[in-house]
Amino acid sequence: MEKVLEVKNLRIYYELPQGIVRAVDGVDFEVYKGEILGIAGESGSGKSTLALAVAGLLRPPAKVVSGEVLFMGTNLLSLTEEELRRIRGKRISMIFQDPSTYLNPVYTSGFQVAEVYEAHRGGSWRRYVGDVVKLFRMVKIADPERRVNAYPHQMSGGMKQRVLISMAIAEKPELIIADEPTSALDVTIQAEIVELLNEIRKETGSAIIFITHDLALLLEIADRIMIMYAGKIAEIGRAEEIAKDPLHPYTKALLSSLQYERKKRLQAIPGSIPSLISPPPGCRFHPRCPLAFDICSKKDPQLYRVGGRVVSCFLYGGDHGGSA
Amino acid sequence: MSLARYVGIRVAQAIPTLVGAMLVMFVLVRILPGDPARLIAGPEALEQDVQRIREQLGLNKPLYLQFVDYMSSILRGDFGTSIKYRTPVIDEIMARLPYTITLALAAEAIAVAIALPLGIYSAIKPRSKASYIASVLSLVGASTPIFWIGLIFIYVFAVSLRILPSSGADTPRHIILPAVTLALLLMGNLTRITRAAVMEALGSNHVLTAISKGLGSRVILVRHVLRNAMIPIITIMGIQVGALLGGAVITETVFAWPGIGSLLIDSLFYRDYPLAQGIILFIVFVFIVINIITDILYAYIDPRVREVLWRAGRS
Amino acid sequence: MESGEILRRVYEARRRRLREMWETLKSNRAAYVSLYVVGFLVFIAIFGPFLTPYNPYDFDLSRARQPPSFAHPFGTDELGRDILSRILEGARYTIGISIASVLLGVVIGVILGLASGYLGGLWDTVIQRIVDVMLAFPTVLLAIALVASLGQGVASLIIAIAISTFPVYARLVRGVVLQVVNEDYIAAARLLGKSKIYIMFKHVLPNSISPIVVQATYYMGLSILLASALGFLGLGVPPPTPEWGAMIGSGRTYLFSSPHIVVFPGVFIMISALSFNLLGDGLRDALDPKARALLRRG
Repeated sequence: MEKVLEVKNLRIYYELPQGIVRAVDGVDFEVYKGEILGIAGESGSGKSTLALAVAGLLRPPAKVVSGEVLFMGTNLLSLTEEELRRIRGKRISMIFQDPSTYLNPVYTSGFQVAEVYEAHRGGSWRRYVGDVVKLFRMVKIADPERRVNAYPHQMSGGMKQRVLISMAIAEKPELIIADEPTSALDVTIQAEIVELLNEIRKETGSAIIFITHDLALLLEIADRIMIMYAGKIAEIGRAEEIAKDPLHPYTKALLSSLQYERKKRLQAIPGSIPSLISPPPGCRFHPRCPLAFDICSKKDPQLYRVGGRVVSCFLYGGDHGGSA
Repeated sequence: MSLARYVGIRVAQAIPTLVGAMLVMFVLVRILPGDPARLIAGPEALEQDVQRIREQLGLNKPLYLQFVDYMSSILRGDFGTSIKYRTPVIDEIMARLPYTITLALAAEAIAVAIALPLGIYSAIKPRSKASYIASVLSLVGASTPIFWIGLIFIYVFAVSLRILPSSGADTPRHIILPAVTLALLLMGNLTRITRAAVMEALGSNHVLTAISKGLGSRVILVRHVLRNAMIPIITIMGIQVGALLGGAVITETVFAWPGIGSLLIDSLFYRDYPLAQGIILFIVFVFIVINIITDILYAYIDPRVREVLWRAGRS
Repeated sequence: MESGEILRRVYEARRRRLREMWETLKSNRAAYVSLYVVGFLVFIAIFGPFLTPYNPYDFDLSRARQPPSFAHPFGTDELGRDILSRILEGARYTIGISIASVLLGVVIGVILGLASGYLGGLWDTVIQRIVDVMLAFPTVLLAIALVASLGQGVASLIIAIAISTFPVYARLVRGVVLQVVNEDYIAAARLLGKSKIYIMFKHVLPNSISPIVVQATYYMGLSILLASALGFLGLGVPPPTPEWGAMIGSGRTYLFSSPHIVVFPGVFIMISALSFNLLGDGLRDALDPKARALLRRG
């Protein structure tokens, strides 16, 4: 299958006065055409930083220390600002977490969507009002002819998120990055938005990176799932494999906490995510891991291949002789 | 809600303030030492003449009726008669007003022309020299007595360098020193607020959306940063009109600029109280009207404001 | 947790915050230096008359308008009076009037603000209307109108400036009250059966103190400018009182030949206003951010 995105050995550090925060610390993964890759992790796992880096939206004090982000073969990190601009919104687009602050309050929603066309096709935004109405219809905004003239404060949270989604799909990009697109919304609206993203993927053929702390949601919609812990990948696998046969102890803990009470989600694992300024030596999960043994606190596990899957745990590889 | 409706509500809200301002002036005039009728008649006038004037002016009526008379005549544009010039106060004001308007606009233009670019630039480049200049300017602007800096300007540019006239309003060059002096009063605060507003707008999430859409940096700056930053900037400009009008009184006096400000100070020395209170009330009216205009502008830029006022108006 | 316990903890936290504020203020060099300048200004406002090398009122036309010299460091004015002596003597007018007017303004503003925010209802509506009307006057103009109406003199100057500036404190205190009134420890005090007035002065007011101090510091700068402007316009303290603004007003006639008469009092006005503004900035930055949002300079 065709690779849309390939991330290689990416490290992103925040240089703060208190020390260097290793938010993303050596991450490798791929995204294939038309798939939904779900990325799950607790807050502080580095998933949002990763999303911003792929979209080219990192701002100081965040700094890419090493690695490549290959989009259709070109390294985004080596492009000029103008080259990046031409990709943003047209070939890679972004859906953010909190729809109420990501729309500009002083412009109508229609204008803000039309700006995408203006940026990539030129001419005045007025020319594109018809296209925006079509887009609004596609994302199921009722009464689209009227809504293009509505200001953000006149819309509900769910509707604002639909406006942001219509912005993201306007140019049928190869890759859409959705960073917690539903966590600020009501549960019923969450389901509608997820359903909408799924339909859009089928219609436009865009690949979607769907980032959330809600593993249960990912199990329903994602093709593949990547679990992150403290700036590193814990495990990557097909959604059904992860659900049926999780490999990493962290994934196992996540799943069992799901079964036991859906509401509590990730908090059900004892302990908390470690400081990213001075992470624990060895595997970063070992202080919380029920299956940890001596090597876990000494060496950092590599990504080991197990069948078609990747897992970062000494239970599945490394020189101590563990086997799959 | 439509802008027209907003304007209507905003104007209606100003009415109690207007009445209040008239009441304040009415009370202040009543506290004034001396009998206004005696002042008008002059010190040598006979008691019966003074009594006649008193009746003409309605000073023998109860106070609340006097206030109603006072209000209704002001609303008809009748601010009374100047003691010194023996002409209607409103005529004196209108004759001098163009000078004050010219001075105020020139000062505002200079302040905006310097403060906005400086504030914007120092927000975008917070560690630059411009940013340092902006903070010094903001401090100096808030700490300099403008009557003094005006005199220093006269000494430097008119006496020592002899490149600009020191006072009067005979040629266009006469406006330079007073306008710069008055602008100095506004510039500091305006720079500081501009800088803060642009920084705030730069940091907001919708700017990330704008970048992720693929908009160019100039479009982002103008549409998604500056336009949003204009909201606090316009607010402070509205507030500053008070300082501008008050500062004009002082500046006009320093530079013998023949506007209504220097007229006010003159009238106080001649004890021409009808003229003085007419000018003050007139300036207050202007200030209130400008505040309404500012609010309308504000509602035009920020659609949320209209709704808020609408809700406040109904509750 | 018991309500008395909550109150105790609140006071402890407040003491800790004051100590932190002091540390932050000390680390801001400009503000720290300004603190000493302000101290010096208050010192000359109190002891200035004992420090004067010459009698500030004695005139001698034979030594009129002398430029600065060893005998007269700031020169002499149009009547031959020593300018340094007059500045030292005048500090108690310019600085004293400003301090008095700020204090009076704070008292009026705090009482109205507390009543407005805490009593609410009709009180709030009426007081807010009054504040609106006062704010409809440009500050300088209101002060001019008030001194013209009250007559010249120190007392009317103080009253005029206080009345022109109190609305700002009233707004500020009302804002703090509305912020604070829903917090736990106020509820705790209510549960203890304290009266409204008691709660207002004992619990709400202490919370307003730090923003009021910052605002009052800024307004010291503004009051100095206002008092000296009125003095300059000839509406302030009557001559021969060496109020700094009045010194500039009477010296301006001789600006072309003897600029030093105008320069030195102005420098003192500017240094005074500048140091109060810098101190205000330092205090504001040391203050907690919640209260900071309510403040405005000049």
